Amino acid sequence: MSRVPLSAPTCELLRQVRVLDPVSQTDAIADVLLVEGSVVAIAPQLADIPAATKITAAAGQILAPGLVDLYAHSGEPGHEERETLASLSAAAAAGGFTRLTVLPNTQPPLDSPAAIAQMHRDWPPGARLQLWAALTRGLAGEQMTELGELAATDCVGFSDGQPLTDLNLVRRLLEYAQPLGKPLAFVASDRHLHNHGVAREGPQAIQAGLPASPASTETAALAALLELVAEVDTPVHFMRLSTARSVELVAAAKARGLPVTASTTWLHLLRDTTALTDYDPQLRLEPPLGNPRDRAALAAAVQQGVIEAIATDHTPYTYEETTVAFADAPPGALGLELALPLLWQEFVASGQWSALELWRSLSSAPARCLGTPPPRCAVGEAAELILFDPQPEWVVDAANLRSLSGNTAWRGATLRGRVQRLWLLSS
Amino acid sequence: MTQTVTWTRRHLLSLATFSPTEYDTVLQTAASFREVLTRRTKKVPALQGQVVANLFFEPSTRTRSSFELAAKRLSADTLNFAPGTSSLTKGETILDTANTYWAMGANIMVVRHRQAGVPQAIAQAMDQLQTGVRLLNAGDGQHAHPSQALLDLFTLCTQLDWEQPHCQLLQGKKIAIIGDILHSRVARSNLWSLVAAGADVHLAGPPTLLPVEFAAFSGVTLHWELSPAIADADFVMALRLQQERMSAHLLPSLREYRQQFGLTRDRLSVCQPTVKLLHPGPMNRGVEVSSELADAPDISLVPQQVTNGVAVRMALLYLLSNRGEQA
Repeated sequence: MSRVPLSAPTCELLRQVRVLDPVSQTDAIADVLLVEGSVVAIAPQLADIPAATKITAAAGQILAPGLVDLYAHSGEPGHEERETLASLSAAAAAGGFTRLTVLPNTQPPLDSPAAIAQMHRDWPPGARLQLWAALTRGLAGEQMTELGELAATDCVGFSDGQPLTDLNLVRRLLEYAQPLGKPLAFVASDRHLHNHGVAREGPQAIQAGLPASPASTETAALAALLELVAEVDTPVHFMRLSTARSVELVAAAKARGLPVTASTTWLHLLRDTTALTDYDPQLRLEPPLGNPRDRAALAAAVQQGVIEAIATDHTPYTYEETTVAFADAPPGALGLELALPLLWQEFVASGQWSALELWRSLSSAPARCLGTPPPRCAVGEAAELILFDPQPEWVVDAANLRSLSGNTAWRGATLRGRVQRLWLLSS
Repeated sequence: MTQTVTWTRRHLLSLATFSPTEYDTVLQTAASFREVLTRRTKKVPALQGQVVANLFFEPSTRTRSSFELAAKRLSADTLNFAPGTSSLTKGETILDTANTYWAMGANIMVVRHRQAGVPQAIAQAMDQLQTGVRLLNAGDGQHAHPSQALLDLFTLCTQLDWEQPHCQLLQGKKIAIIGDILHSRVARSNLWSLVAAGADVHLAGPPTLLPVEFAAFSGVTLHWELSPAIADADFVMALRLQQERMSAHLLPSLREYRQQFGLTRDRLSVCQPTVKLLHPGPMNRGVEVSSELADAPDISLVPQQVTNGVAVRMALLYLLSNRGEQA
C-alpha cells in the first residue's frame, strides 16, 4: 500500500469512475476531469480534454466527496504516546477523511482561544482540522468556558465530549450560546443510572457477567436534554446515540421542529452485545455497545436520516492501556482508517444501504451538522475528493495503520476496500 | 488412573459449551480421586514434574488453598501469585504476568480475576504463542466459576449415587438457587451444569438481584419470593450476600432480606423431607442462612462441598494436563 498522495497533478482525467455525490443524489459511471484542484467536467464519455492531461483508468473505483468526521480524540497534546497530530492527520487521510473534528479532551483541554490556536499552529498539512471548543472549564462540568471569546476563534462548535450532569448548567449554556451561531454537542448519559456499567443491560451482559447499565442511562438523559432544547432554541447535536429508544426520541423531537441533529458511531452500527463473549477490551465503549435490537434501529435510523451522521469517535490508546480486563479498559477504539471499508462491506456490499446513503452519513450530513457546506463531487466545485477502491484486501497491522496505536478489535483482520487517493482543499 | 477417558478441552473457562459426556468424565474422574484421598498416602504421581501456577489476581484463600492442595496431591509443583506482592502495580500487564509464569515452566495456570474475561484473554494469548499452557478459570468477575459448579454437581450427584455419580441422576430433581443471582459467578456456572443435567432449576431473589434477563438461560424458572422456589425442592443452594448491595440501592436492609429470603430450618419444611443445603462459602451466618441451619449436619452439605472440591480440582487438573498428548 503506497502512501496516499496529498497533491494531484494539475490536469487529470479519471476514466469510467463511479461518481458519488450525495447532495445531488448522483451515482453514475463517468469520466471526470480535474484541473487545478477543481472538478471541471463530468460526463459519460469525455473526448475533448486538454493536452498533457494525465489519464487514469478508474473503472471499479469510487470518486466521491471526502469524508467528514464529527468527533475524534487526539493524543497530542498530553498523550503523544497514543497519537500525535502528525499520526492523527495521516490516519485521517488514509481513511478518506478530508475534515476531522477533534474533541477538546487534550491535556491541556481546548477550553481557551490560546489552546485552540496552538492546535491549529501545530497541525500538519493534510486533512482540514476542525475543533470542538470545551463547554466547561477544564471539562469539569462545573463552570462555562468563555464561549463568546471561543466563538470568535475558528472552532466549529462547543462540546465537552462527555456527559454534563448539571441540567441547570446545560440550560444556561443553551441560553448563552444562542447568539453565537455554532452548534453545541452533548452526550446523553445519566451518571446515576450509568452506575459504572460497562455493557448494555440485557441477556448477553447477564451471561457474560459484566456490570451493565440500562438503556435508560442514555434515554432518560436524552429526554431531559430535549426538554431543555424545546425551551431554548439553540442548535444541538447529540453524539454517540446507542439505543433504539433514542432513535424514537430524536425522531419525535425533529417532528416537533426542534433544531437537533444526531450521530452514532461506526462501532455501534457494526457490533452489539453478542460480541461481548470475546471480552475484547477494544469493544469496551462509552456508551456501551447496544443490544441487537438497538443496532438494527440505529442502522435503520441512519439509512432514513433520522440519525444524520456516523462518527468514528477515533480514540487511540497504547498497548499497555488496553491490555487489561474488558471492564478495566478505557472506553473507545481506533476508527479513522477502518470505518469506511468496514461500513462499506457491512451495509453497501450487502445491499442493505445504497452507496449514497453511506456517503451522506459520512460526508455531507456531518458537514451540515456543523453548519458547514458539505464537500461535493460536482462540476465547478473545488476538489475535496477521495478515490475509494472497494476491492483490495489489506491486513490491519502496524505496517498498514498510520495511527500510532493499534487498539482495534480488527487488529490482524483482513479488510476489503481502501482509499487510493485524496484531493484536499488548499488552505 | 486406569480408566480411559476422552477429553479434548484445552482450557476450562466456562461451562457454557460443556457436553453431558464432559460432565460425566469430570464426575467419574473426581470419584477416582476421592478414593485416593481416603488412602493413607493421599498422593498420586499423575502430574509429577508439572508446574501448576495459581494466578490469583483477586485475593482468595479458600479456592486457592483447594487448588494448591489438589495440585500437590497430584505431585505437581505449585507456584502462587498474589497481587499484593506482584508487579502489576509496577506497569506490568496481566499478559506479562502470565508470560513470566510460562517462562518459568508453568503447564497449567489457575486464574482468578475480579473482572470477567481475564482467564479467556490469557488463554488466547497462550494459544497464540503456542505455549501449550492450559488455563483453568478459578472465578472471573460475575461471569463464571466452573470448578465450583463442578464440585457442586459432584456433591449433588454423589448424594444420589455415591459410587457412580453421573449427571443423569439429577434429571427432574428440583434445585433452588437463592439470593444474589445477579452478581454471582457461582450461580451462572451452576445454571449451565444443572440445566444440562436436566434438573428442574428454580431461582429466587428480590427483583433487583434476579433480573428477568436470567430467563435467557433456558430451562430455569424465576421467583421473586422464596416459598414457591423451594417448595418440594430436593436441593437448595444459598448464595453469599455481599454487604455492599445495600449502598447500591439493591436492597433496603439486611433485615428485610433475611425476612424474605433467609433460609431457616423452618422455611425448608416446605421442601422434600430429604432436602440438602449447599453454599459456596464463605457464609454470612444469620443473613442468607441461619446459624443453626449452617451447622445442621442432617441438612448442610457445606463440609462435603469443601472436601469434594479437592477431588474435583484434582480431576480438572488431571484432565487438562493432557499427559496422553505429551506421551
